[in-house]
Amino acid sequence: MQKKLVVLFVFVLLAFVALSWRLVHISQDNGESYKKRVLSQQVQDSRVLPFKRGEILDRKGSKLAYSEKVYNLVVDSKMLLADDGNHVEPTFDAIHKCFPEVNTDEIRSFAEASPSSRYRVFAKNLTWDEMDAFEKLRKKSVSSGNASKKSVSSGSASSKKTIQGVWFEDAYLRRYPFGTLGCNLLGFVNGENLGNYGLEGYYNTTLDGVNGRQYGYLNEDSIAESTMKIAEDGDTLITTIDTNIQTIVEKHIKRFMDEHKNAYREGAACENIGVIVMNPKNGEIYAMATYPVFDPNDPLNEDVLSEVDVSKFLPKAYQEGGVSGNAVSGNQAYDEAWQKAKSDALGSVWRNFCISDSYEPGSVMKPFTVAGALDSGKITGEETYNCGGYLEVGDYQIHCHNRLGDGLLTVKQGVAKSCNVVLMNIAFAMGKEEWLRYNRIFNFGLKTNIDLYGESNAGSLTFDESMGTTDLAVASFGQGFNVTMIQMATGFSALVNGGYYYQPRVVSEIKNADGAVVEEKHARLVKQVISEATSAKMRDYLKAVVMSDPSECTGWSARPAGYSEGGKTGTAEMYPRDGINYLISFMGYVPADDPEVLCYVVIDRPNTALQGESTRLATVLNKEIMTEVLPYLNIFMTEELTDEEREELSKQESMFASGISENSAGEGEAGEEAPAEDGDEDAIVIEEEPPRTDSGGNIIGENEILYDPETGYPLDPATGEVLDPETLQPVNPSSDLPEVKLFGEFPEGENP
Amino acid sequence: MTEKRNYMDYSLIFVVIFLLAFGLIMVYSASSYEASIKFNDSTYYLRSQLRATILGVVVMIVMAVIDYHLLSKISFLFYLGSLGLIALVMTPLGIERNGARRWLNLGMSLQPSEVAKVALIIFLAVLIVKHQNTVNTFWGMVKMMAVAAVPAGMVLVITRNMSSAIILMGIAFLMLFVAAKRYTPYVVVAVLGVAGAALVVYYVWHLSPAEAAEHFRLARVRAWLEPEEYSSVTSYQTLQALYSIGSGGVFGKGLGQSTQKLGFVPEAQNDMIFSIICEELGLFGAMALIFMFLILIWRFLVVASNAPDLFGSLLVIGVMAHISLQVILNIAVVTNTIPNTGITLPFISYGGSSVVFLLMEIGMVLGVSRRIRFD
Repeated sequence: MQKKLVVLFVFVLLAFVALSWRLVHISQDNGESYKKRVLSQQVQDSRVLPFKRGEILDRKGSKLAYSEKVYNLVVDSKMLLADDGNHVEPTFDAIHKCFPEVNTDEIRSFAEASPSSRYRVFAKNLTWDEMDAFEKLRKKSVSSGNASKKSVSSGSASSKKTIQGVWFEDAYLRRYPFGTLGCNLLGFVNGENLGNYGLEGYYNTTLDGVNGRQYGYLNEDSIAESTMKIAEDGDTLITTIDTNIQTIVEKHIKRFMDEHKNAYREGAACENIGVIVMNPKNGEIYAMATYPVFDPNDPLNEDVLSEVDVSKFLPKAYQEGGVSGNAVSGNQAYDEAWQKAKSDALGSVWRNFCISDSYEPGSVMKPFTVAGALDSGKITGEETYNCGGYLEVGDYQIHCHNRLGDGLLTVKQGVAKSCNVVLMNIAFAMGKEEWLRYNRIFNFGLKTNIDLYGESNAGSLTFDESMGTTDLAVASFGQGFNVTMIQMATGFSALVNGGYYYQPRVVSEIKNADGAVVEEKHARLVKQVISEATSAKMRDYLKAVVMSDPSECTGWSARPAGYSEGGKTGTAEMYPRDGINYLISFMGYVPADDPEVLCYVVIDRPNTALQGESTRLATVLNKEIMTEVLPYLNIFMTEELTDEEREELSKQESMFASGISENSAGEGEAGEEAPAEDGDEDAIVIEEEPPRTDSGGNIIGENEILYDPETGYPLDPATGEVLDPETLQPVNPSSDLPEVKLFGEFPEGENP
Repeated sequence: MTEKRNYMDYSLIFVVIFLLAFGLIMVYSASSYEASIKFNDSTYYLRSQLRATILGVVVMIVMAVIDYHLLSKISFLFYLGSLGLIALVMTPLGIERNGARRWLNLGMSLQPSEVAKVALIIFLAVLIVKHQNTVNTFWGMVKMMAVAAVPAGMVLVITRNMSSAIILMGIAFLMLFVAAKRYTPYVVVAVLGVAGAALVVYYVWHLSPAEAAEHFRLARVRAWLEPEEYSSVTSYQTLQALYSIGSGGVFGKGLGQSTQKLGFVPEAQNDMIFSIICEELGLFGAMALIFMFLILIWRFLVVASNAPDLFGSLLVIGVMAHISLQVILNIAVVTNTIPNTGITLPFISYGGSSVVFLLMEIGMVLGVSRRIRFD
């Protein structure tokens, strides 16, 4: 028996050895692959906790953009089909009840096709109320299920029909409560929390937070730890935008666009329009608007394209023959081109004209030339120049808009009357180097670094040392090189605020999600561009542009009643220099002696018969905006009101009070004001161009001779054509400007 | 010289205490996650096991103190009683867990098959002592085996617990093997058994999966052969246990750091606790544990060969057979060496009845060892 006991023990020993060998074998042969299996099983626990994107507030704290918590419905097939599918019916019933829009047949076929799937989103952006209703049903079903199985001690029977296999994951939806308001400033967010354009694009990383995660992980010792890393919400932007001013600006732009639609030719009121309202003393942007506007809540909505000429974006081959959208539809190549054109057109809507597009500024540039000459001591301001209507430069005769010539003009009068000859003389006095130096001091060709997405610098379209005499001549009055609106408005602010060049900015403060200030963005003084004394002189000159007698200045129609305004008009001829296409603009600031608010209006190719004579559209738009913005900013009237102005203002007020401010009646009032004001014979009467009828003559008063505001030439009462003051023959509307060869980009021009 | 000294097998006591403490720690480690989810109390299984262990230690001390010859007087009653308890499972007193009806609710839950094992050991020891001569004959062996077959059959039929039935038959087989003088009949039976098992495996191997699936035991054999094929259903537990062993490496992830116990190895504190030990303590920990069992069995060998009489010796052999079988079969299941069947690891796996009656057996062994005479 002893022997047999030992035999038994040896057998046991052998068995143990065999099992140990087996253990080593498993560990050695499959250790690595099993380790990976274990790791891959763990990963299923991981779950993203989304962050909340920061808000965008206006200067008064109104929310321009915020993220709303929503819920996605996720189906877990494995849970849903567990316990022989007992849970399917009650779960589907609950889904039907709470989310009628969700198709349960789809869920069923998905669950049956992939029964081991743990994650599939079936409904997005559900509100808390919808989610909560479902969760309540679920709790009810689970608690009644638990009650019935409590008697059985362990998990053998979860056969009770409960709601399961559906859960909700958090998500955030970007909302813009004001809809289209300030869309170009704000930009938008695509599905993946990616900001596009505007503030959303520029401050994308600031607004973004960091996703949290709930997960089990293995640390360096392959030890499992389960953690929840809370999401870090994004920072909030407090901007300098004023919702009310933005509303005023957009309202007037809209009215302008509606009124001038199809005015002269079929199509929009202008090719592009941009308005910037800012504080010239510190670079804060109050408002910035273009047209058309899109809704950042739904940026891909193609309804907005009704405002855009999509065919413009078609390749040349399709544009010829005036093919309209549906004419050749069916042709696949054409359809593709059309789709591409549509997306390009949408891109053009999202683009912020005020910072992304460049143009030749025209006469608004003149104060920069004068300021440079004064500041460098090349002129004193006491000089007088004789304007004979044109100046011979090289082989060209570069005309003043008033071909008759204005005679002897001081510098101030030259600015007020926007005389090209005076400006050319001043530029020649400065010389090429000095003019270029000041051009650079004012940052032309460089970005202003405004905190908005997509600023361009137009750097390749500015002059360099290779500029010739003719270039200098036209550059003095803002032709031959390109600028952006924000460059102009920022530079102009420095001209009139004492010479201080402030970086323009939209964000004043960044706060974190808890409300603590992360960063304060103070006014950033970049440099002093001109002296205080020069700036004072400039204010004096620019005041003369608006506040002089209408016969002595070009910008009188921009003045809001009761205020003193300084500013400068601009009528820039566009390429090709055929005298048809113009970009008109007005830069104005109030009060004239101590600027508090600056408004820059640019209208690209207005829909009028004679675009070159339509500068009034810009000045009037400026006046309308200023008339509403100034009282809002608590800037008091300093000038006496005439009876007409008083009447007009009270009408306007009652109009705003009754909430029909968008009624075109206001414009009618403004239009009538012009003839009323020009009581004396010499006054230049500027009639709005074009008249509402096709024939320009209809609106011109019988005995009055109308003069073109920029050139000062008389207009033909019958046709509205500009007449040569000497011969009284219609002037060929082709350009006054020489075709300057610009960077070899444009063909050699013909003689003027 | 018949000086009677009190002998105590301290090595045996130390090993048992070590195994109990180690078992409690591993039960806590393996079960805390599931317990905190199911009962909102991570110590639920630990406390239950601790209560059973304390009760078991008391029983062990009592058994060690009383004269083990008293057991021979109640052995038949005990045997009948254990059969009665198995039958009671069919009455409303029976408890069903995880789809199997194997427990009795007698104030505390009790697994009658554990009682049957102890009862069988005692009863067989008494019978062998009484019929020492017939044991050597073939028919004697068959009769003795029939004594074991009664509870084994009842366990198999009533509680559908094949593993306990195998253990019961195994205990009887090994006790008879040691008691008898002959080898041949046992070798023949063993060879037949192995051949029969091989035939079953061969048969299953050539069944279509659908046919195999019809019977759950055949399905288990199939799953044993191809664990990866049945990973979602039958062999899920085995495969997860293999992953645990493989991912543990040589020194393991550290005590309490198993990831597989987090819901992947179902009821990790039960049959599959050895895989968690492998994962947390590595091959080193597993080998150490196997070595502790080897010491335990070696002590049984020492006590059995030095026992004062045949009855005491047979009692220890029965306990030795029982514990050896369970350890070997459990580790074999966890390592997928044999098809999956629910066998617990003695002293380590969670289970109140198991630990109480195992300690009762240890008490018997200690009782026998106390009466060892030193000449």
